[in-house]
Amino acid sequence: MKVSDSLKTALTGLKHAKTRAILTMLGIVIGIASVILLMSIGTSAQKLIISQVEDIGSNLVFVIPGATQGSKFSPPASAFGIIIKTLKERDLESFRKDPSIEKVAGEVHGQARAVYGNNDISATYNGVTGEYFEIINLKVKKGRLLNHRDNETMTKVAVLGSESAKKLFGEKEPVGKNIRLKNHSFKVVGVLAKEGTGVFGADLDNTIFIPILVAQKQLLGVNHYGAIFIQGNNNYSIEFIKSRITSILRQNHNITNPDKDDFEIRTQEDVLAILGNITSILKIFLASIAAISLVVGGIGIMNIMLVSVIERTREIGLRKAVGATNADIMQQFLTEAIILTSIGGLVGIIGGAGFSFLIYLGISKFAVSDWTFALPLSSILLALGVSTTIGLVFGIYPARQASKKNPVEALRYE
Amino acid sequence: MILVEKISRNYENDGSETQALKEVTFKINSGEFVAIMGPSGSGKSTLLHILSFMDRASTGSYSFFGKKMEDMNDTELANVRNKEMGFVFQAFNLLGRSTVYQNVELPLLYSTILPSERKKLVEKAINDVGLTEKTNVEASRLSGGQKQRVAIARALVNNPNVIFADEPTGNLDSHSGENIMQILKKLNEAGKTIILVTHETYTAQFAKRLIRLKDGEIEIDGEVKNILSQTYEGK
Repeated sequence: MKVSDSLKTALTGLKHAKTRAILTMLGIVIGIASVILLMSIGTSAQKLIISQVEDIGSNLVFVIPGATQGSKFSPPASAFGIIIKTLKERDLESFRKDPSIEKVAGEVHGQARAVYGNNDISATYNGVTGEYFEIINLKVKKGRLLNHRDNETMTKVAVLGSESAKKLFGEKEPVGKNIRLKNHSFKVVGVLAKEGTGVFGADLDNTIFIPILVAQKQLLGVNHYGAIFIQGNNNYSIEFIKSRITSILRQNHNITNPDKDDFEIRTQEDVLAILGNITSILKIFLASIAAISLVVGGIGIMNIMLVSVIERTREIGLRKAVGATNADIMQQFLTEAIILTSIGGLVGIIGGAGFSFLIYLGISKFAVSDWTFALPLSSILLALGVSTTIGLVFGIYPARQASKKNPVEALRYE
Repeated sequence: MILVEKISRNYENDGSETQALKEVTFKINSGEFVAIMGPSGSGKSTLLHILSFMDRASTGSYSFFGKKMEDMNDTELANVRNKEMGFVFQAFNLLGRSTVYQNVELPLLYSTILPSERKKLVEKAINDVGLTEKTNVEASRLSGGQKQRVAIARALVNNPNVIFADEPTGNLDSHSGENIMQILKKLNEAGKTIILVTHETYTAQFAKRLIRLKDGEIEIDGEVKNILSQTYEGK
């Protein structure tokens, strides 16, 4: 049987049972729409996170204490709760003297409960200097940022991330008020604009920033740094800057064997790659959940096709009597299943795209103005491929059942 | 030529074996009009199914115009059914929601005939049974007689050597039945071999030869006019 005849016959068969065909397709439509929707949202979120990190600047280098085992995507030792005290003030001073380095800022961080009135939140606090805000390009929305004087005088002042301000103060004005952090009173001097995700996926909006010396001496009792943020001089390549930082640190830490480095240097590119990796895994995870509904849809197709084979037993008998081979019958029913799932897939793609667009309109208007609409071609091709494959896989069993029918018995079927 | 040699057909049912045909042997020449008669359970439908390559004999040998059934696989049998046989059934077996044209075209979908040639053949077959004005009508909207004429057009469209008709007038009134038998008679006169299964004496009279089965065996095989005048005289 020619493919064109097979298509025509299958379409005629489906036309004769329109309502059933539409209901059968519904499972695939919902499954594909879910995949498209989740892939679209995942891609939009990925774009947003990456663009936020890119906004920080392109000539940034981050130094974290402890070496990373394995690839650059492996987490640093500090991520496992190991306290590494190798980054010291001396390192910062050496960096400041190097011509390839424009700005340097140390950072320490910890977790504590922050209290204002009856509001009590668990917050991350970052001990930083004024340069920190400049290097990673954080903008103040109200009040001011931290400065050198705050640090030198060890004044207990704080700048709040937008979310932590909201959680502690609600609609009230935070600037000028005092909060308690680890039983110390801090005067709020500023609130940051909404920043989203920072370096290494840090949630800057939920962070409280305090002068680094206050954090080191009074809250943590340490004299090392948790990370060093460096803005390179634009006249030097990022690779050169990296090599300078490496040699300074090796010299300061008396390291002669590169395998024994006690620090990790990451550029913004590395961070983007890590974030891209994480968000891609997240996207695959979301799509996998949606794919479960596709399997359910596929079983629905198989079920209805089996019913259809039984209902059309006499038709199968007739077709065989007039010369259809087993392969012709199999081809006909398989084509019907594939047409069902392919049309279902197309409708699902359109539905999913439409729904994603509505979600984009909602999020960009009411939640995140930077949210963009994304409909990756790969997700469309994947959805089409998957829906066709589902038709093929779940159509084979009913089609085989049809093809195996004995013509005499099929013609006698009541 | 159709050559049947000692064919038997056994069915197994719940562990016991039933023999529907017992070593049946006969020959049908090209251009014959043969009626197969017999009471219910005599094996006439089983014989027709084997002759039309829709079922296989348990033992014995069957040759259809030189093609031995026992040497052929299912696909080869389907190809012979498609190119060299036509079928007319008691229950018409039309695709009710398809048009007359689509029903008649059905065997050609499984042939190698080009679509342009196909159209001519379908239109000619529909015209031959006098249904040109119904070409685009849904088969379910036709009368019983018209449906059987569509079935005959479908049986003719591939220009087969042999037409198998299984109780073709069984679901028709006497007038429509007469029309159908006249068409089959004309086709035989035009050179087609017709093999008809019937239990109606009147219908069998259109054939030239009659094979009468009883309990899976041939009881009588001879000229219709002689057998019917002896066996059914006065009934």
